[in-house]
Amino acid sequence: MSGILIVAEHTRGVLADSSADLIGAALAIKEKLGGPLRVLVAGDMPRFFAGALNRPGVDEILLAETGSANFDAAASEAATMAAAARCEPALILVGHSASGVSFAAALAVRLGSGFAADVFGLDVTGTGLRATRSGYANKVNVELDFPGKSVVVLTIRGSTFKAPDGRGEAVVTTLPLALYGIAGRYRHLGFTEAPSSDIDIGKAEFILAIGRGIQDEKNVPRFTALAEKLGATLGCSRPVADSGWLPKPHQVGLTGKVAGNCKLYLALGISGAVQHQHGMKHVETIIAVNTDANAPIYNIATSGCVLDVFDFAAALERAAG
Amino acid sequence: MEETRALFWNLDSPAVTTFYLIGFAAMGASVWGIVCAIRKYLRGQPASGASIGWAGIGRMVADVLTHRTLRRRDPYAGLSHAAIFFGFGVLFLGTAVITLEYDILEPLFGITYWKGTFFKFFGLTLDLAGLAVLVGLLLMMWRRGARVPEKLDYRRDYAGEVEARPAARCWKREDWIFLVALFVIIFTGFVQEGLRHAMERPAWGAWEPIGCFFGMLFSSLGEGALHAARAANWWVHGFAALGFIVALPWCKAKHILAALGSLAARDPLALRRLPKPLAGAAAGVGTVADFSWKDLLDFDACAKCGRCHEACPARAAGYPLSPRDFILDLRLHNNAAKGRELPGTNLIGDIIDPETLWSCRTCGACLEICPVGVEHPVKIVKMRRQLVESDRLDPLLRVMLNTIGASGNSFSEPGRKRAAWVKELEFIIKDIRKESADFLWFVGDQAAFDPRNQAVSRIVARIFRAAKVDFGLLYEGEKTAGNDVRRIGEEGLFESLVEYNLEQMANAKAFQRIVTTDPHSFNTLHNEYPDFGETAPVIHYTELLCDLLERGALKVKKLLNLTVTLHDPCHLGRLNKRYDAPRRVLEWIGCRLVEMPRNRDNSFCCGAGGGRIWIPDKPGTKKPSELRIREAVTLGRIDVFVTCCPKDLTMFEDARKTAGLENDFVVEDIAELVAKAIELDAITLHDLPALTEKLTTAIAGRVAATVASQLGTQLGEMLDKALAGGIPPAATVAAITPPVDAPTPVTTTVPTPPASALSWRANPVTPANLPTYEIPAKNGVRILALIKQIGKLGDDFSFTDDHRGIPEEYFEYLLNEWDDTALEQALQTIEALDGGEVVVVTVGPESADSTLRKALAKGAHRGVRVWDDHLADADPIVIARILAGIALREKPDLIFTGAQSGDQANAATGTALASLLNLPRASMVVETQWDGSAVIQVTRELEGGLQHQVEIDTPAVISMQTGGNVPRYATMRMIKLAKDKPIASVNAAGEADSHRAAAVNRIFAPQATRATMLEGSADEIAAKVIAIIREKTGTSKGETA
Repeated sequence: MSGILIVAEHTRGVLADSSADLIGAALAIKEKLGGPLRVLVAGDMPRFFAGALNRPGVDEILLAETGSANFDAAASEAATMAAAARCEPALILVGHSASGVSFAAALAVRLGSGFAADVFGLDVTGTGLRATRSGYANKVNVELDFPGKSVVVLTIRGSTFKAPDGRGEAVVTTLPLALYGIAGRYRHLGFTEAPSSDIDIGKAEFILAIGRGIQDEKNVPRFTALAEKLGATLGCSRPVADSGWLPKPHQVGLTGKVAGNCKLYLALGISGAVQHQHGMKHVETIIAVNTDANAPIYNIATSGCVLDVFDFAAALERAAG
Repeated sequence: MEETRALFWNLDSPAVTTFYLIGFAAMGASVWGIVCAIRKYLRGQPASGASIGWAGIGRMVADVLTHRTLRRRDPYAGLSHAAIFFGFGVLFLGTAVITLEYDILEPLFGITYWKGTFFKFFGLTLDLAGLAVLVGLLLMMWRRGARVPEKLDYRRDYAGEVEARPAARCWKREDWIFLVALFVIIFTGFVQEGLRHAMERPAWGAWEPIGCFFGMLFSSLGEGALHAARAANWWVHGFAALGFIVALPWCKAKHILAALGSLAARDPLALRRLPKPLAGAAAGVGTVADFSWKDLLDFDACAKCGRCHEACPARAAGYPLSPRDFILDLRLHNNAAKGRELPGTNLIGDIIDPETLWSCRTCGACLEICPVGVEHPVKIVKMRRQLVESDRLDPLLRVMLNTIGASGNSFSEPGRKRAAWVKELEFIIKDIRKESADFLWFVGDQAAFDPRNQAVSRIVARIFRAAKVDFGLLYEGEKTAGNDVRRIGEEGLFESLVEYNLEQMANAKAFQRIVTTDPHSFNTLHNEYPDFGETAPVIHYTELLCDLLERGALKVKKLLNLTVTLHDPCHLGRLNKRYDAPRRVLEWIGCRLVEMPRNRDNSFCCGAGGGRIWIPDKPGTKKPSELRIREAVTLGRIDVFVTCCPKDLTMFEDARKTAGLENDFVVEDIAELVAKAIELDAITLHDLPALTEKLTTAIAGRVAATVASQLGTQLGEMLDKALAGGIPPAATVAAITPPVDAPTPVTTTVPTPPASALSWRANPVTPANLPTYEIPAKNGVRILALIKQIGKLGDDFSFTDDHRGIPEEYFEYLLNEWDDTALEQALQTIEALDGGEVVVVTVGPESADSTLRKALAKGAHRGVRVWDDHLADADPIVIARILAGIALREKPDLIFTGAQSGDQANAATGTALASLLNLPRASMVVETQWDGSAVIQVTRELEGGLQHQVEIDTPAVISMQTGGNVPRYATMRMIKLAKDKPIASVNAAGEADSHRAAAVNRIFAPQATRATMLEGSADEIAAKVIAIIREKTGTSKGETA
């Protein structure tokens, strides 16, 4: 048996974008790898998502009724194991997301499979599947092989692959499941929205974002004023929000907001961790200002300069008059 | 009639007796007050460095007699004080002389001398002394009332105070009452004398000129009025004088006594050599009871003169610190606390704001100018020690201390890069660890890592070489000397740095002296290291340069003919009194030195000292460096602002730019000027062979790289062609080693999908079976905190020959930030449960023990370290197997681990571990609530910041996301205290090399699509950015901006 099994993900009734990304990733090597492409979706009403997952190239959609509307790591793991046992895929793809990382490595343990996380490059070579991921704070890329593994579990970096639009011709199958007695099922208590705010990173067209480089909470007002002066929305990287220097809604990135409508992104004192890039690397014009000439942000920026952010801010204040 | 006067005129014997009784009572009260004060001081801790010995007393007497400390920088106040002090002194002696005759010699032996010529000269002297006091007091009143220097204002505008606080208003009243009271004593004395003159009109009246003058004023009064006034004024004068005696140990008057003590006990090395913490005592000062007796004495000695207030760079820059107000606040508190801990009041927080303590630059300006020997910065550092111990640190400072602890430098660079600056030299500097030399050059952090200062270091090296100085470096064996670490208050880290550097120096080959470019390193090596072990004599490079010029070892070829000003580094000048060497060097090379108004001992700190270089400036404050640069501007035309301290160079270069003075003058290190004067640029023939060799090696390297990459491309093309032509290329490919930077040719067609070649089977991974080790019986809950020492990759690195790894030397090892968060959560959980233990577990080699020690210092109870060399490049599944083996032995109630690691970022270990143990788990957790029962509530953070609250059964594996808490700082002292906590070492041999989930094919540098770099000055770049903003957002928005 062979083929690829994808595990789709949804939160509060909305299919995650990463699910489509996974289809895109699978299609990149489907032909080389051979075999069908199956998508598994678990939940209390998985059929609800079948339509959206039926993209060109998908051969089968597996529905696993776990009885839980919300994410349950143990249930996702059990459903995936059941699907794997049935389909015997050569590759299982899971999103590298808060939910995905909660069970992907568990699959690798239970299958004794090959495993790699946060993969952004996929290929099939003479020796088999090859995955590319980054290491040491994005300073290097690492190519991984999985010798001797009949199945490989990978988590895929978000916003890296694109799924084809349009409707596919997938068959929809319900997967029989026996979920009784699974240890440690989540008892879902509730969701809390990220604190609301009058700013909306998702809608902003021009974002001025600040990172660890601003050094101190006391320096935040200066950049708030600068953003206002330039007509920009103030964004920030995770460390700034973690430290409580700016409220969470300002955070751009994986656990923050995606700058979905942004045309111009001014990154001040941001080194450009993957998590941050997730929220902004697609922006058409990115200007990066940092003191570290080797910061990964320069690899995705359109233009940049190596300058002290405070000197730059002062100059910008003067220039903006 | 012989010249004399009646002592108790018109008083009958009961009245005299009454006066004596009152007098004795007053003196008794005074003595009681003094005893109380001394008892209060004696409650203080022993003072290292400070003691009252003959040398100290001698110096104090000289200080007082010459008034040298009072005249400095305020001759007006010095003169006024001298008039009051010496005048009063003479009056006091006069009273003693009379008492000697009247109460002792006459009643006992019938000897009298207070008459005749002696009486006349006595009268004249005392009259003039009284006049001096009156004039001094009037000058002081004029100063306080009309001139009002800023330093005498107690309103704390530097801390944003709009109105003076009640205590400050009290101080102001006290100052005036003190002056007026003294005035009343002397004035009523003269009135009394005048009344006597008016009544008795003695023939020798001119010998008491002031009394005589007052007498003339009263001459119009009738006999009765004179009589009554004389009787009444006598009592007024007497009570005023006795009142003063009573007040002596209290209020402002007590500085008269306390200052004698503080001057005599002054530590000549104060601040230069900070006191070691007392064995067994609390870490630093948390209550007044932790202060030394000298500190307590200092609080009372302060006379509020404001000289320190005026000199303090922190205060001048708008930081909430005035050394005067710091001491006054402590005094006020200690008036109530009396040297004991005052319940219900926190010394740090309620009395002294931590922000005040962090404002200090330990430049010593306050200590230097204090006329009464108060040692302010020493107290500040002692209190900082407490702040460090209790983790009340600026977050960036915490990061910095961790960095210094891990890498031995403040630049967050791997120690290996310390000597990177020598690579561009055309000669090799001796490695003192292998070859002996006359000098060991201790370079210091700033000069070794900061690019601007690296250039200076190279110039210094070239100058030394040109002068044939025999010198060597410790290379990567050097760690930061620790001067500023100690001044931050991290005494334990300082001690470990000293131990390390001393050991390096002890193990090095022979050297006679140490030379250092960094005044901060100079200070600690010179003054503090000898407390810990033997060190060679230390000199500053300016001293060596001066010597080389004077000996003719360096020959000036061109006098520079520049107008310059010199900034005295605090740690070189004020603290170590080395003012002359840099000035002599400047003279030698033909620079005209224009001194700034504040120079030598009054040099104004650049603001970088005391660890402040690592704490960002507050918005709304001025930079001390900028204030200093502006001071230089007032000099008029100067060409160069000369520094001789690497931190100064950095600070003033920055300040010159931010102050917009780039066109006024340049900032240069003194060595750069020397290099120009000796025309160092010309490379000596002597250096040529070495230089040629270096150049050829560099060129050869570049050529090889280019050839290799081109070869690679061509071979790739050939390969493609070969494939297209159907010729099997395998033999050719195998024979060629892939070039360094070229991508591995990718095979484009795969005949058979290889995965299908293997039959599909699930082969579950099982926990490692690890040997048993000693595990104590469970006492309460047991929480495992899994931590990892991660490798932080520096900017420059290369790959191993097989391109599957990166050599260890390019890494700096740190505790993973996520695991630090997990450990903190584990500790907080245990603390909330009030019992149980946290066991820290790591998979790592012996060097990881340091990370475990740090975790134990933070509060974990014991550590477990598992290792086998096969684990060096293990993937998360293998690591999880090993950890599962430990968990099976420990049987914990809860496991905390980081959601991911900062190096590999797999975010997999926790999940894999839970699966291996068949335990529930939650990842990306930012909050937990657990009362030790069978369920735990956790909050997970999802994409978009959405928070997910769930409940899972325990035991469970919780993977923590950062931001959930603020990990505490472990001081080096805590780490040392934790050294007895057990760490079990578990051998994973035989279990380390199976179940690998992946194999590295190659590691390579990502193809960078680099941004277009904008060039130019900050303003030019800003203009370009504004243009982009206008273009992208539309002109209208740009204009409204």
